[in-house]
Amino acid sequence: MVKQASLLSQLEAIVGADGVRRSDELSAFAVDGLTPQAAVAPSSYEQVAEVLRYAHTEGLAVIPHGGGTHMHIGNVPGRYDIGLSLLRLDQVVEHEPADLTVTCQAGITLDRLQRHLGQHGQLVPLGPAWGEEATIGGILAANASGPSRHAHGAPRDFTIGMKVVTADGRITKAGGRVVKNVAGYDLCKLYIGSLGTLGVIVEASFKLAPTAKVERTAVATFETPGQACAFAADLQRRGLTLRAVQLLNATAASAVELAQQGLCALVLDLAGTPQAVERSRREIGDLAQDAAADLRDEENAAKAWESRMRLGSTEEAYLLCKATALPTHLSALIESLETVDGPPHILALPAVGVLYASWPRLEDAEAAVGRLRTAVTAVDGSLVLERCPLDIKPRLDIFGDPPPSFDLMRRVKEQFDPKGVLSPGRQVGRL
Amino acid sequence: MPNSSLIRDLSRVVGRRWVLHEPEDLLVYEYDATIERGLPEAVVLPYNANQVSQVVRIARRHNAPVTARGAGTGLSGGAIPCDGGIVIVTSRMNRILEVDAGNRIAVVEPGVINQDITDAVAPHGLYFAPDPSSQKVCTIGGNVAENAGGPHCLRYGTTTNHVLGLEIVTPEGDLVWLGGKTADPPGYDLTGLVVGSEGTICIVTKVIVRLMDCPQSTVTLLAIFDEVDQASHAVSAIIGQGIVPAALEMMDRNTMRAVEEAVQAGYPPDAGAVLLIEVDGLEEETREQADSVRAVCEELGARELRIGFSAEDRERLWAGRKGALGALGRLAPSYYILDGVVPRSKLPAVLRGVYEACDSFGFQVANVFHAGDGNLHPNVMFDERVPGATQRVLDLGEVIMRLCVEAGGTITGEHGVGYEKRNYMSWIFSEDDLEVMAGVKLAFGATDLFNPGKIFPSSKGCGEVSSRMKAAIAKVGPDAYV
Repeated sequence: MVKQASLLSQLEAIVGADGVRRSDELSAFAVDGLTPQAAVAPSSYEQVAEVLRYAHTEGLAVIPHGGGTHMHIGNVPGRYDIGLSLLRLDQVVEHEPADLTVTCQAGITLDRLQRHLGQHGQLVPLGPAWGEEATIGGILAANASGPSRHAHGAPRDFTIGMKVVTADGRITKAGGRVVKNVAGYDLCKLYIGSLGTLGVIVEASFKLAPTAKVERTAVATFETPGQACAFAADLQRRGLTLRAVQLLNATAASAVELAQQGLCALVLDLAGTPQAVERSRREIGDLAQDAAADLRDEENAAKAWESRMRLGSTEEAYLLCKATALPTHLSALIESLETVDGPPHILALPAVGVLYASWPRLEDAEAAVGRLRTAVTAVDGSLVLERCPLDIKPRLDIFGDPPPSFDLMRRVKEQFDPKGVLSPGRQVGRL
Repeated sequence: MPNSSLIRDLSRVVGRRWVLHEPEDLLVYEYDATIERGLPEAVVLPYNANQVSQVVRIARRHNAPVTARGAGTGLSGGAIPCDGGIVIVTSRMNRILEVDAGNRIAVVEPGVINQDITDAVAPHGLYFAPDPSSQKVCTIGGNVAENAGGPHCLRYGTTTNHVLGLEIVTPEGDLVWLGGKTADPPGYDLTGLVVGSEGTICIVTKVIVRLMDCPQSTVTLLAIFDEVDQASHAVSAIIGQGIVPAALEMMDRNTMRAVEEAVQAGYPPDAGAVLLIEVDGLEEETREQADSVRAVCEELGARELRIGFSAEDRERLWAGRKGALGALGRLAPSYYILDGVVPRSKLPAVLRGVYEACDSFGFQVANVFHAGDGNLHPNVMFDERVPGATQRVLDLGEVIMRLCVEAGGTITGEHGVGYEKRNYMSWIFSEDDLEVMAGVKLAFGATDLFNPGKIFPSSKGCGEVSSRMKAAIAKVGPDAYV
C-alpha cells in the first residue's frame, strides 16, 4: 500500500497541482460509502494514461467519474484508492454537420453537447435524466438511456467509436468516426455498460439524428397498467411518429400531477414532420375514444419530461430498481411489483420492456428485494438494484444471479484488467 | 490426405452422410465470393447445436481448425479455411424456431436464409431489417459473423442493431447463451462483441433477432444526374436537410450502362449517375420528405426525377439497383468488389480519387453503393486469365482503401476484414488497439481454433498462424483457459 503523501506527490507530478483534488473535496468522489485516498482530474488523455500506468504499477484501484449522476449503479467496490474525474476533458473534438456525426471528449455534459448540436438542427439520441450534470463518458459506461430509446435505440445502437485508456495506461481506439464500420471486434459494445471495469472512456463518436420539426405531447389515462400497455401496443402497430411512450403507474402519475388519484398515465411524445405529427395525434385521439380513455395535450412538455425522468432516477429513493421483461409481460410485472410494500413509483417504457420502480421507504428492504426477484423471475426478466440502501448493499449482488455467460465475462475482465485496477467489484458477479 | 480418424470421429457425431472428405466434394468449399482459396480437410454438416458442440470438441482433440460457413456469399474470405481443417456448414440448421409477433422477436438457427425470416414474419406485418444484396441466399449466421449491412442500414442500422441474443459454442465446445430476449441484460454485452467477430471467437448456433413493423407507406425516388459530382453533393444535401432516408443508393455511368443492357431500366446512355432514394413511415411523412428530396435533387441539377408510390412502381425503380451486381458480369469476365467507408462530406473528393486510381491502373470501374452511409463499393473490372491481372487488381484495391482511410474513413463497412484486408488493419489501428482485440480472442480461449488467419495483420500467407497471435498466446499459454 502506498502512503497517502507519496501517492499525492506522485499524482501531482502527473496531473499538476491544479489536477489533484483537495482532501475536503474527496467526499464528492465517495462511492457506496467508500472514499478514495486521492482524486485527480487530468487535463489530457496522456495524463489519464499516466495515472493508470501509475495505479497499475502500484496495484491501486481507480474509479472513473463523470458528473456523478449514475455512480450508484454497480456493486460496492472491492477496493478504491483513486477517484479519476473526466470533467476537464469536456471538448467537442469534431463535428461536421454534413456527416451527421460528432466526436467529443468523455467529460462533456449531455446538455452542453446537445446545445452545440442543436445549433445545427441535430441531436445525439442519448437521453437519460440529469443531462445538466451527466457526462457522455458516464452515460456510456452506465449504459444509461431515457425514454427516447423507443425511437432511437440504446447507446449501443448509435455509438460508432471510442478512445479508451486501458487498465495499464495505453490510449486505444475502438470503432471509428464513420457511421458504418466492421473493421475488427466491436469493442464499443463491450465498453458500453461496463461501469468503468474494462477501460476508461475518454472520447466517443456518435451517429446523430436530425431534430424533429415538430414535437407534441399527449397524455392518456387508464384504470390499470394492463389497459395502458394494450393501448401502447395498439399504437405501435400503427407506425405513428412516436419518439417516446412512457407509462406511469397511479402512484407516479399522481406524484407529477399527470393523472387523477388512482389512474395511471400513458405519456405519448410525438416528433416528426408537421403533418405526420398532426395525423398521429388525430389517430391517437380516435383510438382513445374507442378505448374510452381520457386524453389531453400536455402543454409544458419539456418540464414534464424531465420531472418524469427524475422519477426513474430519483436521489430520494430508498430503493430504485430497473427491471426488464418482454413487452407482453410488462403489465403483469408492474402489477406484481406494486404489491411489494410501497406502493412504488413506476416509470415504464412499454414497447422496450423496461421499467424503473422506486420506493421512498421500505420496512424490510432485504425481504422486499427477495420478492422483487421472484416477481421478475416469474416473467423471465432481469432486475438491477440501481440504488440500494447501504445497510444491505454489501450483502447483495445488485445484478442478481450471474448470467449463463458469466464465465466468459470473467475472462474478458481478466484479459482487460488482470490486476483489478478499474472499478474492481462493481460489475455483475463482482467483476 | 484426409485424416481417417478425424473423419471417423466426425461421422460418429453427425452420420457418415454429413461428413465430406473426398477431394471433389471438398473443392466446393474452398472458396467464397472473394479471390482467395483454401481447401478444408473435412466438411461437416451438423443438424443441431449439440452436434456443433461435439464437432468442436473433436476438432480440438485433433488440433484441426474450424471455419463456419453459411451460404458462402461472403466478400472478405470469411468462410475460407485458410489453415485447412474442418468446415462446419450450417445449411441443415435452417429452422425458424420461434416467432413472437407480440414482442417483435424471432429465434432462428444460423442456417436460416435472411429473406426467409422476413417471409415468415410478413403475415404479422413485420420484417427483418438488414438486407444485404445477397439476402435471397445468404444466411443469418453469416450476417451475424460479418455484421452484414445492406441498402436499408442507413436508417435502421446493420445486423448488430437487430440481434438481441445468441447461443454459441465456445472453443471448449460448451453451449452458452449470450444476451436474451429482453432489453439490457446485466453484465458485458457479449452479443454485441460476437456480432462482427467473423467466426474467430465462437460458432453461433441460435440467433434471437429483433423484428420491425412494416412501414405504412414507402416512396421511392430515382434522380438522374449528368455528373457523379452532382449526385454526391445531393447525398450530403439530403442528409443536411434533416432527412435520413431509409435508403440512399448511387450508381455511376458504367453501372448504368451494364444495367441498361441487362434489365432495360430506362437510364439515359449519357447520364453520369443515378440516385435511388427511399423514404418510409406514415404517408404524410413520406410525402413531405419525398417533396423535400425532389427539391434538393432538382436544385443540384438532376435532369430527371422518377417517383414510385405503389409496390410495382417502386420495384421497377429498384430493379436496376438490385440487378446491378449481376449485370456487371457483362462488362468484364471478372470483377472485384471493394468495400470502404468515408465521411459523407468526403464522398465527392474520394469518388474522384477512385476514378483517377482506376484510370492510372488501366482498369474500368463501376460504382454502385450505399451513398447515404458513405459506404463505397467500387467494382473493378478485370480478366482473371490475364497473367498478373489479379495481383494488379488487389494492388489497386489497396490504393483505394488508402484513399478511404486518408479521408477519415475505414477499410470495411459491411463485408468484413477477413483474410483479404487483415494487413490494412494496422492503417487504422495501433499495435495497442490490436492487442486489446487479441485479448478478446484470448478471453474466449479461441487462439487459433476458429477461423485462423482472419482479421489480425500477418505477413504470413494463407496457412500460417499470425505472428502477433502466436506471441500473444505464448504469453498466456495456449491452454490458459481450458
